[in-house]
Amino acid sequence: MRRTRLAVSLALLVLLSGCASFAPPQPWEKQYLATPAMQFDADKLDVRNTQHIYYSKEGAAGGYGIGGGGCGCN
Amino acid sequence: MPDAGFIQFKYLDYRDWQPGARRMRVENPGFYVMSPFAEAWVVEGALVYDGMSGASPMWHDTLSGASGEGIHDRRAAGDVKLTRYFDGFSVGAGVAYSHENDYISRGGSVDLRVWTADKNTTFTFSYAGAADRIDTPDGAANHERKYVNDFLVGVTQALSQTAIVQSNLTYTRGHGYFDDPYKTFDSRPDNRRVLAWLTRLNRHFPDHHGTLQLAYRYIDDSWDANSHMVEAAWVQPLPHAFSVRPNLRYYTQRAAYFYFDPPFPTGLVFGQPYTADTRLSAFGAFTLGLLLAKDFGGGWSGDLKVEYYRQKSDWRAGGNGSPDILPFSARWIQVGVGKTF
Repeated sequence: MRRTRLAVSLALLVLLSGCASFAPPQPWEKQYLATPAMQFDADKLDVRNTQHIYYSKEGAAGGYGIGGGGCGCN
Repeated sequence: MPDAGFIQFKYLDYRDWQPGARRMRVENPGFYVMSPFAEAWVVEGALVYDGMSGASPMWHDTLSGASGEGIHDRRAAGDVKLTRYFDGFSVGAGVAYSHENDYISRGGSVDLRVWTADKNTTFTFSYAGAADRIDTPDGAANHERKYVNDFLVGVTQALSQTAIVQSNLTYTRGHGYFDDPYKTFDSRPDNRRVLAWLTRLNRHFPDHHGTLQLAYRYIDDSWDANSHMVEAAWVQPLPHAFSVRPNLRYYTQRAAYFYFDPPFPTGLVFGQPYTADTRLSAFGAFTLGLLLAKDFGGGWSGDLKVEYYRQKSDWRAGGNGSPDILPFSARWIQVGVGKTF
């Protein structure tokens, strides 16, 4: 069962990465990468609020950064 | 390093309910500021306030239901972080504090980011520690302590002009008091290890002027509440500096090994871990959301986000969700305004 889950995880990772070809951009080719939509966690308060909700309603949480401190909501 | 500062205010209104009962409401104003200074430094901080009212948690609760007292709680939390940028890397350190009338958390964190000369690859290494104290008014938890250590290793890679991927591995190890003091007979192990692996891909499509955002997270939990999460969103710019972002998230988890199905308190053996907390049951959940944002010019921006969330046992991937649990629903609305300076 654990092996199946790992296989599924790896398959999804490959799928995610495989959506794009690997051709790292030159410094002058980053206009799309610089847009807000291409940033991870651009809206800090949104990430904080949303992950706080999932943390308090689901069994386990994590992955979206660390260091925000704990709470008695789980 | 950011070349401009940013200040943001956001108001969150959260409500959840189950069939026949409205349960909990949270109103949450939040404030965030980030500012570069002295050429190589960045300071950032956030303050949030939660005002909670209603009757939660739902099952076998010593505050709601039988006693009818309900919950009225307030949480104030804040954190500050300082980052120093160097040639090719940055070092950051932060502190965090959270206060509820029954729960106090104090934490600190450090992180190191290293990037390649072309800035297409960034490695992140972080550590965070928190020491929590739990004191309930009814004495169910009396000067209890919980300690949590988080370790994060991550890589962000620009794959092409239009695609970027990030993969973060977070290992969390905690020990101390994990019980829910408001749940009758709730008794959880005094330690927990959680491994969370989050991978995200953002891909821009120039022909459509839109961006696809994908995420997948796997969690391996020493309590066995292992889970998978997938999320997809599309960011579409519109005329007049508006943009929309619909998002869809699916989450599925198995039950913790000490979760027991109703009727309460089936499975209870004194001295053994036990919970009837449905958050540790086996279920699936969907979130459907829509964000509307506008750039007002002059550095000002505003956004409105609405999300609807629903948990059902039947939605667990592969079936075998925990039986005899009512579906749980929530919706939250966020309104925000920001200013770049």
